[in-house]
Amino acid sequence: MKKALAILLVVLVIAAAIVAWFVTRLPSSPFDGQPRAEISNDLVARGEYVARLADCVACHSTPDSAPFAGGLEMATPLGSIFTTNITPDPQTGIGNYTLADFDRAVRQGVTPDGARLYPAMPYPSYVKLSDEDVRALYAFFMKGVEPVRMANRANTIEWPLNTRWPLAFWNVAFVESGRYEPESDKDDLWNRGAYLVQAAGHCGSCHTPRGPVMQEKALDETNGNYLSGALLDGWYAPSLRNDHNTGLGRWSEDEVVQFLKKGRNAHGVVFGSMTDAFNNSTQFMNDDDLAAIAHYLKSLPGDRERDGTPWQYDAASNEKLALSNRTDNPGARIFMAKCGACHAADGRGKTPWIPPLAGTTSSLAPQNASSVNVTLNGSGRVVTDGVPDSYRMPPFREQLSDKEIAAVLTFVRTSWGNTGGPVTSQEVRDLRERTDPASSNPIVLQMR
Amino acid sequence: MIVQDAKGSRHATTTSRPDFQIIAKTLDQAKHEELAMELTINDTSYEVQSDGETPLLWVIRDELGLTGTKFGCGLAQCGACSVLVDGVVTRSCVTPLASVVGGRITTIEAIEEDEIGKRVVEAWVDHQVPQCGYCQSGQVMAATSLLKENANPNDDEIAAAMTNLCRCGTYNAISAAIRDLAGETKEG
Amino acid sequence: MLDTKNLERGDLASPTPTNISRRGFLLATAGVTAGALVLSVGLPAAPARAQQAGMAPGTRVPAFLEIRPDNTIRFLSPFNEGGQGIFTAMAQIVGEELDADPAAFLVENAPAGEDYKVMGAPFGRVTGGSMSVRSSFDVMRRLGALARQMLLQAAASRLEVPLGELATEPGQVVHAASGRKVSYGDLSETAMDLPVPDPDSVTLKKQEDFSWIGKPVARLDVRDKSTGRAVYAIDVKVDGMLHAAVQHAPRLGLTAGHIRNEDTVRGMTGVHSVHTLDGAVAVVAERWWNAKRAVEALQVEWSDPGAQGTDKRYMPADFSTAAFRERLANEPGEGKVAEEEGDAASVLQKAENVVEATYFSQFLHHAQLEPPSTVARFNDDGTLDIWLPNQAPEQFQANIAKVAGIEAAKVNVHSPILGGFFGRHFLYPEANPYPQAIKLARDVGRPVKVIWSREEEFLRDPMRPMAAVRMRASLDEQGMPQALDIVSACEGPTEAVFGHNPDKVDPTAVEGLTGKAYAIPNRRISQIYVKNHTTIAYWRSVGNSMNDFLYEAFLDELADKGNIDPLELRMRLLKGNQRLSTLLQHVVDLSGGWKRGPFDAEDGTKRARGIAMASPFGSHTAAIAEVSIREGQVVVHDIWESIDPGSIVNPAIIGAQINSAAALGTSQALLEDTVYEKGEPQARNYDLYPILRPDQMPRVHVGIVESGEKMGGIGEPGLPAVPPAITNAVSHLTGKRVRSMPLSKLTFDA
Ligand code: FES
Ligand code: FES
Repeated sequence: MKKALAILLVVLVIAAAIVAWFVTRLPSSPFDGQPRAEISNDLVARGEYVARLADCVACHSTPDSAPFAGGLEMATPLGSIFTTNITPDPQTGIGNYTLADFDRAVRQGVTPDGARLYPAMPYPSYVKLSDEDVRALYAFFMKGVEPVRMANRANTIEWPLNTRWPLAFWNVAFVESGRYEPESDKDDLWNRGAYLVQAAGHCGSCHTPRGPVMQEKALDETNGNYLSGALLDGWYAPSLRNDHNTGLGRWSEDEVVQFLKKGRNAHGVVFGSMTDAFNNSTQFMNDDDLAAIAHYLKSLPGDRERDGTPWQYDAASNEKLALSNRTDNPGARIFMAKCGACHAADGRGKTPWIPPLAGTTSSLAPQNASSVNVTLNGSGRVVTDGVPDSYRMPPFREQLSDKEIAAVLTFVRTSWGNTGGPVTSQEVRDLRERTDPASSNPIVLQMR
Repeated sequence: MIVQDAKGSRHATTTSRPDFQIIAKTLDQAKHEELAMELTINDTSYEVQSDGETPLLWVIRDELGLTGTKFGCGLAQCGACSVLVDGVVTRSCVTPLASVVGGRITTIEAIEEDEIGKRVVEAWVDHQVPQCGYCQSGQVMAATSLLKENANPNDDEIAAAMTNLCRCGTYNAISAAIRDLAGETKEG
Repeated sequence: MLDTKNLERGDLASPTPTNISRRGFLLATAGVTAGALVLSVGLPAAPARAQQAGMAPGTRVPAFLEIRPDNTIRFLSPFNEGGQGIFTAMAQIVGEELDADPAAFLVENAPAGEDYKVMGAPFGRVTGGSMSVRSSFDVMRRLGALARQMLLQAAASRLEVPLGELATEPGQVVHAASGRKVSYGDLSETAMDLPVPDPDSVTLKKQEDFSWIGKPVARLDVRDKSTGRAVYAIDVKVDGMLHAAVQHAPRLGLTAGHIRNEDTVRGMTGVHSVHTLDGAVAVVAERWWNAKRAVEALQVEWSDPGAQGTDKRYMPADFSTAAFRERLANEPGEGKVAEEEGDAASVLQKAENVVEATYFSQFLHHAQLEPPSTVARFNDDGTLDIWLPNQAPEQFQANIAKVAGIEAAKVNVHSPILGGFFGRHFLYPEANPYPQAIKLARDVGRPVKVIWSREEEFLRDPMRPMAAVRMRASLDEQGMPQALDIVSACEGPTEAVFGHNPDKVDPTAVEGLTGKAYAIPNRRISQIYVKNHTTIAYWRSVGNSMNDFLYEAFLDELADKGNIDPLELRMRLLKGNQRLSTLLQHVVDLSGGWKRGPFDAEDGTKRARGIAMASPFGSHTAAIAEVSIREGQVVVHDIWESIDPGSIVNPAIIGAQINSAAALGTSQALLEDTVYEKGEPQARNYDLYPILRPDQMPRVHVGIVESGEKMGGIGEPGLPAVPPAITNAVSHLTGKRVRSMPLSKLTFDA
């Protein structure tokens, strides 16, 4: 018996040692041992473009700070995480990183001292980046970005939840290890699109539903969950698959390109967190890459079962808006008082400048977070080619009660053929408490 | 970018403004190209120079010189900029020019040419509605539109239709004037 | 030189200068089309006429009046019209003595000039403080009488009869003996060339002989304002004019540095030029919309020099109203005494029953519907024409001269009617667009109109002060207030605008806490000065807009503590004060008898009423409000308000002004609050700064008491009693004491 226990003890000690080694080990990088190479201006320029594709600036800058000096607060239910300084400052930034160190951080979420990054850093996507893109990105951050001395802010997540070594296991379970491998049966455009969407674009971070431990349920098109729509930070990022109602089913590839390039098309205007992705990232992608993305996304099949009966405009709802009918229909009444002037009394908007509410994904998706959020808080300014939008969505949190917002959104989400369904006051109250109104100032994050 | 001028010809400029040509293709662009710059305001046709994204308000005020339509907020909040498009009250600050091409626009300058509008103005005078007056062009427009939709509105319908702001607080006089027009008994 | 083309295209009135219809006239007010011609050559007629030296302000008749051949009377008013009805009141007052129907008047705001400083020292001439009529009543009547006298003289020589045989009927001189009549229009040319008689030589009418004063004369501007013909500063147009839009520094005190995309923006559609201004950048363009889009696109690196230790206000990056409120509430000290009677300190020290509370007032925006604008035009002769909304032309002229670096005499200030003002259009540093317009017009060599978007306006609008007020009072055995000690931590608007004197209390910081008529034997009212980072301004009814709320709400708190009905308490405290007792009773009667509630209304809601009084601007008011709670928020159903302004000029206008004041008072009580975080106002438009909507407007029932006492103001006095009447009703209905506004920030369960 004693012997058995002794053996068990030895096994446990060995296991613990293995765990300790495992969770603090530095994973290998293809760049290990490579000498520091000269960095060409071309490579810096390419890296800058990759940084646009990957939208590094959206998280690693704030409107008040120097480019990439970090400091953006990311609130989680457990506490706040602050993004880090990734300027080449040797003390407070990443100036001392070798290319291999940089690679480990970007693609594997491990810092040079072996610490694990929270997957708020989308390394489960970045792991698919090509070696060339990582090398270019490194070049940009070393030579294209001004070093800024700004110490990182400590996160406010308390022990034991701030213990990050278990993430090593999370990574094993949920992060695929490989680079993006082109599908040989698809054309180059598709493969380029897949690479952009899955790797740098990290579209799945918002648009793919997450599992019980916050892992994305799918990382590529082989699984129908991929980009099928997800709830994150009080916004519902809709399906990017060919779902007629809640996805891109009714959009042409051209329209996808327009949306990503101009922030708007006949179906809608970017809002909520997509505004940041558009302002800082997608509009800077070149036309070929946008075409590739559109091509890839349009290849993802929709799911009729999840998506429901295809939407069709139903003009009968407009009857409810007639003066004599809306006096005892609070939702219709509020719609005409607050929404109709811009989104038009028939819900069709004034496209492409002011989006329709009839038939838009946010009015059709059963998840109503985006409808509620944008009504409470408005939306940030859409800055296209450096010029802020002519028409912005104002916040209504100071004008409408929870009940009134619930009423008007219930009207919107059940009219004109919309099938999103009702909103409750409680749902509005919940979001009201944990969100803030969008700024009316155009916010342009600089990369240099 | 490419901009389109009144004659439908295009010229390039060196700016980085949004190029809506791409977008426009998805709209009923053929129609726009033909008519984009032709506006019917107060039964007069105007050729306008502004691009399709420009708010109707600023075309009316700056380009056509009709300053009776007021700018208050530019955000669909106040209603000072209200005009009628095909007889329906419309906040011109959030109305892209391109969206009203082909519509019949009435501004306050021509309100007395409209039979209902004329009655509204008389009621406004009778009830001495305006104070600073700045919101009143819009209020008169909203009231005219209301009475066009419903000649005999009840109090609740008046309240549902009249949503323009007035910082001077002329609200009670406004509803009294409309009640009067609706043929209802005046309240003291 | 003037752009009439657009107007013709716009199907406006024919802009023929010789045929001045009412419509054309109002255009003239703003100097549009023919108007500018009228302004520069038609009037002021005075300089062309024989000048009499050393005339007192308000007596040089030709500087004010032009009677046209068609018998319309053009009158240059010393006071500007912003909705308060002053143009009509002036026509009534001058017309009364001139013997001319006010309806024949075409009124516009007079240019800057000594003749128009009719208020006497220290103000000379401002439109504000509800002072216009009461300060100039006799002067303006005398002016009318002098003009009439001149017309009589002209008629005497025309008809070759002794002056004594002549009389007037409205608009004409009558010779009864011969049955001949001559219209004023026919006589005017000759009359205005006559020397103005000695002001003491004319006698004014007796009140009982008034034909127009005291009557509900129709307003002169109503039709033009109902048909879009009224022209505001923002509508002014001059030939060759460019438009400008600005982007202000996010915080006061910051300066514009490098503009990252200046070249790109310069190439945008319609853009003329890009400019760096003091604490702002601007884009000048052919059209305002183009300027606005371009200026928003400018990516400016703002540099923060920190507080410079000068008088200029500097807004630190960490400023928040929440923290400032805390600071005010905890500011140590007893303050400078503003009013003292008896010995409040020792009574309070010995008292058994002491009530203590801290009350708050919030920052408020003016939120007048017309955004600020200015048109500036430098002329070849070295003069500057400038059109801008303003409440004090001479003050603006002096400052504009300084800004432009030219003599004041070369600055022609045009003051179009105001699209609401509420105190917004005084000279406030950093808060007016004219320095920008002047610089831009000079830089581009063409006239420029600057318009502030609502967002830029809310960024620079100076605010009604915030205050934290510590109240302490003791009650005697009967529950009556015995001693009252009030310490207000606040920067008053007057010291904020004209400079702080450490040895003095700013009366506008404490008015409404001081000057109350209640007989509380021991009182000490004081102010602690706490300088703001924000700019501070007058706001309708000034200090009273907050202080009467603070005082009257606390008074109700005392009534409840002392177990006395709040009406009863006020009645007792006003014992022996006939005027105010009468007024209080008047409002009670107006409301159908005092009914504090809570009671069940017909619609099933539970309601209560609150009562409050105020004595602002020489008038006295009493108000009752009826409220209920719907879904946690306050609904104001009715406001009854009685006002005693001593004597009145136009009861209809008073009714409208009480409605207006009730709306603004309800708005601030229910909704308004300017919130700063990180040095910036969170609301930049009506979206996050809601103002009272039509469906939130209470019914307003107005009572007028004409006591015959000294004349008081009208425009502002209606406001101060409204917020406390509402909050007192709410406190009573909900049992939850309201010590701050707006009520929308509180939730109630009734
Ligand atoms: S200016 Fe259009 S609604 Fe205010
Ligand atoms: S009358 Fe002044 S804003 Fe309505």
